[in-house]
Order: sequence, then structure tokens, then C-alpha cells
Amino acid sequence: MSQLQEEGSGPVHGFLLSTVSSTQPTETGTTHERTGLDLAMKLHYVKAVCIYSAEAARELTVMHVKGPFFPIFNQIPWISGRLSRHDSGRPFIKCNDCGTRFVESQCDLTEEEWLRVSDRSVDESLVYHQPVGPELAYSPLIYIQMTRFKCGGLALGFSWAHIIGDALSVSHFLNLWARALAGEEVYCPKTTDSERGLPNPNPTGKEPGSIKRVDPVGDLWVAPSDSKMTTHSFNVTVKNIKTNFGANGNEFEILSGIIWRCIAQARGGGGSEPVTITIIRSDPNGLKPRAVRNSQMISSVHVDFSVAEAKLEEIVKSIGKATDERSEIDEIGESDDFIVYGAKLTFVDLSEVDFYEAKIKETSPVSVYCNVQGIGDEGAVVVLPAAVEEERVVTVTLPEDEMEKVKWELKKCGLIKTLINGE
Amino acid sequence: MPREQMPEFSSSVKLKYVKLGFQYLVDHFLSLLLIPIMAIIAIELLRMGPEEILNVWKSLHFDLVYLLCSCFFVIFISSVYFISKPRTVYLVDYCCYKPPVSCRVPFATFMEHSRLILNDKPKSVEFQMRILERSGLGEETCLPPAIHYIPPTPTMDEARSEAQMVIFTAMDDLFKKTDLMPKDIDILIVNCSLFSPTPSLSAMVINKYKLRSNIKSFNLSGMGCSAGLISVDLARDLLQVHPNSNAIIVSTEIITPNYYKGNERAMLLPNCLFRMGSAAILMSNHRSDRWRAKYKLSHLVRTHRGADDKSYYCVYEQEDKDGNIGINLSKDLMAIAGEALKANITTIGPLVLPASEQLLFLLSLIGRKIFNPKWKPYIPDFKLAFEHFCIHAGGRAVIDELQKNLQLSGEHVEASRMTLHRFGNTSSSSLWYELSYIESKGRMRRGDRVWQIAFGSGFKCNSAVWKCNRTIKTPKDGPWSDCIDRYPVFIPEVVKL
Repeated sequence: MSQLQEEGSGPVHGFLLSTVSSTQPTETGTTHERTGLDLAMKLHYVKAVCIYSAEAARELTVMHVKGPFFPIFNQIPWISGRLSRHDSGRPFIKCNDCGTRFVESQCDLTEEEWLRVSDRSVDESLVYHQPVGPELAYSPLIYIQMTRFKCGGLALGFSWAHIIGDALSVSHFLNLWARALAGEEVYCPKTTDSERGLPNPNPTGKEPGSIKRVDPVGDLWVAPSDSKMTTHSFNVTVKNIKTNFGANGNEFEILSGIIWRCIAQARGGGGSEPVTITIIRSDPNGLKPRAVRNSQMISSVHVDFSVAEAKLEEIVKSIGKATDERSEIDEIGESDDFIVYGAKLTFVDLSEVDFYEAKIKETSPVSVYCNVQGIGDEGAVVVLPAAVEEERVVTVTLPEDEMEKVKWELKKCGLIKTLINGE
Repeated sequence: MPREQMPEFSSSVKLKYVKLGFQYLVDHFLSLLLIPIMAIIAIELLRMGPEEILNVWKSLHFDLVYLLCSCFFVIFISSVYFISKPRTVYLVDYCCYKPPVSCRVPFATFMEHSRLILNDKPKSVEFQMRILERSGLGEETCLPPAIHYIPPTPTMDEARSEAQMVIFTAMDDLFKKTDLMPKDIDILIVNCSLFSPTPSLSAMVINKYKLRSNIKSFNLSGMGCSAGLISVDLARDLLQVHPNSNAIIVSTEIITPNYYKGNERAMLLPNCLFRMGSAAILMSNHRSDRWRAKYKLSHLVRTHRGADDKSYYCVYEQEDKDGNIGINLSKDLMAIAGEALKANITTIGPLVLPASEQLLFLLSLIGRKIFNPKWKPYIPDFKLAFEHFCIHAGGRAVIDELQKNLQLSGEHVEASRMTLHRFGNTSSSSLWYELSYIESKGRMRRGDRVWQIAFGSGFKCNSAVWKCNRTIKTPKDGPWSDCIDRYPVFIPEVVKL
């Protein structure tokens, strides 16, 4: 779903744009390079929304919310810079302290009314999103939207260019903000690219299956897609997955297996089934300390059998044998324009990401939503933690014409309990 | 080659000594004249011998009436002298406002906002970029919160809240520094040129600090960037009339309501240069303040060129063809500023220049009038009259022009340039930031003379001369406390954006 934020007639309105930057000037001429892996992700944007209750957030003014971002940008000045290109055409970041766009908005509904909708993809309208381009030098890499609900609740929406970091980085950024808001000192140690800990490159040199080359997009970084995409979000309980779908593996792998099979069944058997999928999850050997970067593991799974007919255990076992393709992607990332999410059916595991640790007045957010913008035609599934520990939020983005069939399959296999029209 | 240079060098050194000798001779002419007179009297006395001196003494018939009359006469003359002497006006202390760092406007942000707001006028954006590159401003200047919005939201509430923020913070700092109780303020003068609400800003201050009901309050608006020194002049006159009083002056310019929303080039200039700032100054004529006061006011000269039409119209607030109000700066601004300065110097020169410079100027003037009009006019060396210069940081061109006209070195105009770089053009308060820079660098010694020059719409040129009352220790707080070690910085002719 391409959501170019415009002020429409929806319940969220009253957009006031300003800019938040750092307080200490960065030395003129400072630049920050991006790796091949970062450049391969450039057509994608992470969108995340955290909704806080009125009790926690009622007294926060705009200045209270803006204030903690300044010391963070002092520590990580390059994310508030602007893109530019070397003579070779390779993009890099000019650290000119230009800042990030901050959008204030109002919502006519109370938080309760907003959260009543079980399909959390409505949260997409709480994220002010603009793509990078057509002028790189004037495109912010991060947009922050602050929405005030009628009851005093607060939603913070982030649109985050994937070239600077992954969903884990967004959570890290949000956590830093919450800590700075609480009055703690924020310190981010500098990281160098050499400590990236990528696995050794594949000597066969074949192109990674998890990404797809697209036609050159020039300076407007919007992932081209043939179909109109739509998003549906639902909750599942871990118990439900583990008990009703007995298979070995952790709940993300089981969930991915179930949904893969449902999508395969919905697309009909034979050639149109997805036999290759991409798994994106945090690197278990992830580098410490945490920083803003693309650290997630991008791996590919390929099966030779028909997924629609296979047993769940076989599917889950194949998922467990996913091969990390980051080095291959890193090598070719700068040469062309690629999409990663949706190049093949993509499953993103964010269930361990600590969005709920970003607390205001020691209260966690009541709801967190996260998705990716610019998903390709094969679709993507994002698994998030829910406010309740035993639950997960699953966000499925697929072409519009496929979504109803997939939802029906998901209900048939028991993953979605009820299916009310339009939810 | 060295041999040829040696005679040149030695001849310039010789010339230097000749000039020094001439200056010493003329400046101390009266004292030098006194020496031979005293010598003659001493020789005469010695020659006369004690007995003759006694005879001379007896011949003066002293009777009581004669003696009493003489005494009364002397007392009378002394009294008249002391009563008619103007009261010394002291500058006890002052505080400059340091904007919060969250209001900082880096160049890149300013240009991006400009592009988004003027998105259908690329030539105007291009113009603003060129101005900013050559402006002499740095990356740490600040604009008020309302101007950070795209587009800016200059409501009256925001303007008032900016006024409260800048004025009250500076005044709180001043009260703390000087141990002044608000109820002890006798005179209050607030000057802010472009924002004049009802009730006035001075009423706002009185309301906030619960000042006395018999306070003498004044609010000067519309008087431009030179209003700071006009307030000082007013305070001085009031302190002559009211004994044992103190006066608080608040100099500021409120940026929020004055953001120009159109795209007329001559009117876009102030958007690029004006920044948030204010200063609060405590002046008094209490004798007890002579120990703690930082400066004594020596002279204040105001020159108004409004009678000349060109000068009057050169900084003119008007509506553009789309109805947007802005300030139009004419292309002749520098020339007019130069002329205003000349007029001001003509008045202040005789008050401050040493006798040697005045003599040379007079001789040069006579020579040009009588002998040859083509002689180069002699520009008096003001560096002999002052140790420090504070030139209003109106823009890089103003400082360059004055540096050239007064033949000042880079160090003399350093305070002005660095203030422009760090704080931008803060209008009437910029002189105080410059003074604070000099103090923060530890350069202010007792007896040093400071010349503050301010230009303003009208067209006005006002000068104030202060004499440092006590050597000032490097302040630990103040607007420069966190960055003075980085200054002076090299400011390139054109900053690459």
C-alpha cells in the first residue's frame, strides 16, 4: 500500500511540519558512507508506530517530545544529514545537520476508539511518509509524526529510510528517546564498518535469491510495483500456534510455515506457488553495542516440493536451513537498484525487538505497529511482539487481489479466529 | 636586496618615532608648558631669598573682610562646579540572552525550509542561498520556535511568548548577577523595534516582576537597530534629573511576527540575517556603585540623517505587490551608512580624540579648503582614542565598510565579526554580545575605552563611549561561556553549502 501522506479528510489532520536537528554543529565536510548492503535496502522504509496511553502521555507538550531528539542527534549526527552522490554515482550521506522532519497532528478519535479496530494496519495513517527524492539533497531520511488523540493519548510514528538502518535500529532509536525523555544521559559509541561481522562470502558467486533487480529509479527512491498492495494485521497467541500446529521450531518459524502454506494454497498449485522465500531476522550473533545500522540477517529458503501440499514439519525444517545471503547482497548492492522485501515472499521476525521497552513515565506503549514501505509484489509478513507477552501481531502485506483468498485460507487453518468483513 | 630594504625599514621606523614624538608633544602640551613655568618660578624664589619673600608676604594687606570674601568666593565657585557637574552614570552590569540550543538553525535546515516554503520561486531560493553563503553567520544562530515551522506560524501568542522567553530570561540573570530587587528599579526602558503590542513590553515586564507603581517606564518602538543606544541616552538624561536612582534597559528584537512571507529579493534579506537575542542592562547614578560598576558612560552622540530623503527611505517597511509586509533594504545602504558615520565622527571626534590627531585633522582640513582640495582627507586614528570597538553586527558588509573607513585591524573588529558568526544580527542587543565577547576573552582592563557604534533605520548613527571602571575577570557564565575557546574562527568569504 503506497501511502504518500497527504492531509485528507480522515480522522488524523492538522499537520504542522517543523524540523528537529542536533545542538552541536558537525564539522563542515563530514560525510558518512553506506555499505553495499545498506544501498541494497534503499528502496524500502521502516514504518513504526508506538501508541501511549493518556495517563502516561497527557502532560507531554510538543517541546517535551522534540527535546530528547536533540541529544540523540548529537550522538548520531549522520542520520540527520542528507544524501548526495559521489562522482561515481554511489550515494553517501553528507553530515550537514539538516535534521529530520517532525509533524504534529491531531486525531478526532479517542485512543480507545482507535485501538478498538483489531486490524492494526490503520496505524499506517499515523506515520507521515515521504520517499527519498526527487531531490536527494532535500529529502529527510527520517520523519517523526506526533499525533494527539482526543483523550490525551499520544502516538509516535516513524518513517525511517532503510538505507540508514533496520527495524531493530528504529527500536533502538525509540528507546534512546524514551531514556532521554526520562532524563538519562544518552551515549552512542561510534561503530565502524569493519566490525560488521558478515559471514564469509559465498565462493560460487551466484546472485542471491532474496533480492530482485529493478529498473533504475534514479533519484526518486520508490520501489516500483505492478500490483496495488494492501495490508492486513491480526493477533495470534503463541499457545495457539504451539498446540494446534504441532511442529518443532520456534513460534516464528512455525508461523512462517503456516502462512507460507496458506499463501501457496491461495495462489493455486503448480508454478505460481512461492518455492523460495526470504527470512529476515535479527542476527543471533549480533554485534554489541547496539547502533543504528542494517544488522539483520537476510536469508533465503528454497524448497523443491510443493508447499501447498507439504506437511508443516517439512516446511518448518526447511525454514530452519535458511542460508545467510548478506555478503552476496553486500557485494552487488551498490551496482543497481534492488528490492529485498517482497522480491520473494518475505517473512520478517521482529518478535524479539524491544519496542515495548520505550517507556514514558515507566509505562510501556499500549500498542506497537511496524511494517515496511515499498514491499514488492511477492508480499511480506512481519511478526511483532504484542502488548501482551503471549501474543504476536502479524502484519501481512500482499497484492490486493490476493488478500481475500489468503485471509480465507488463514481462517480455514485456524490461525485467524473470526473474519468480519472489512477487518 | 636586504640592503635596500634596510634603509626603507629604518626610514619607516624613523617616521614612526617622529609621529610618536609629535603626538606626545601635542597631547601633553599643557603639562609640558607647565614645566618651564615652574622652573622659572622656583629659580626666582631661590634668587629672592627668604627675607624678600617675607617682605612680599607682609605687603599684601590681609584684613579679615578681605580674607572672608576670598574664602566665600572659593567655596562658592567650588559649589557651583560640583552642582553643575553632570552626574556620573555607571553601567553596573548587563546580561545577554543565550537562546536554547533546540532553536538552532543550521544552514542546511534554513535552506531546506526556504525551498519548501518558496517552492514555486526557485530564483528567490537561489538568492537566499547566496546571501547565506556570504553572510558571515555561523551554524549556531537561533530562530524562535514559531519560525521553525514550515510554513512559519507567526501568531501574536507566539510573538508574546518569544518576547517573554528572551526578556525574562535575560532579566532573571541580571537580577541574580547584581543582587537587585525588582522593587528597587526606578526607571525601566524597553526597546523593541518591530513588535509593539498593547499593553507594551515594558508593561509586560512590570506585570511579571511586580515593579513599583511609581516606576518611570518607557517603551521605544520603531527606532531600529540603533535603539539600544537611544535607550542608554534616555536613561542617562533621566539619571541626571533623578538622584540616587537606577535604570534597567532591555534591548531586543522579536523575530516571530516579522518573518517576510513574500519573495521580493530586497525584502528577503532580513529573513537570512536577523536572529533571536536580547540584553538587559543595569545603569545607575548611585555613588556606592562606583566600586562595583563595570563601566562609566563618557559620551553618547546621536546623529540623525532623516532630513535627507535618500537616508530616510533606505530601510523602509512596506507591503510588496502581493500584500506581504517586509523591510526593504535599498542598494545604497552602505554608502548612506558611511555618510552617517562621517557625520557622527565629526561630532564625537573632538570629544575623544587626543589633541595631536585633532590638530592634524584641522591642518588637513585647512589645507584642503585653502590650498588644494585634491589632498586626501586625513582620517583621524581612532585607535589612539579607544582600546575596543563594538560595531553593530548588522551584516558582514557593515563591518567590512567600517573597518575600511576607520582603518581598523582584524583584532579590533573581531568582537563584531564573531558575534555575527555566533549569534547573527540580533539588532539592538548585538553591541552587548560584542562587549561580552571582549570581556570573555579577558581583554577588558581598567581604564580601557570602548566605542559602541550602532546604525539604524531613519537613518541613524549613534555612538556611545564607555570607560572601563575595573578590570573585568573572565565571566564564568554568559552567552559565550561554552564556546569562547573556539573563537576566533576563520570565516571564509563564501561558505560552501
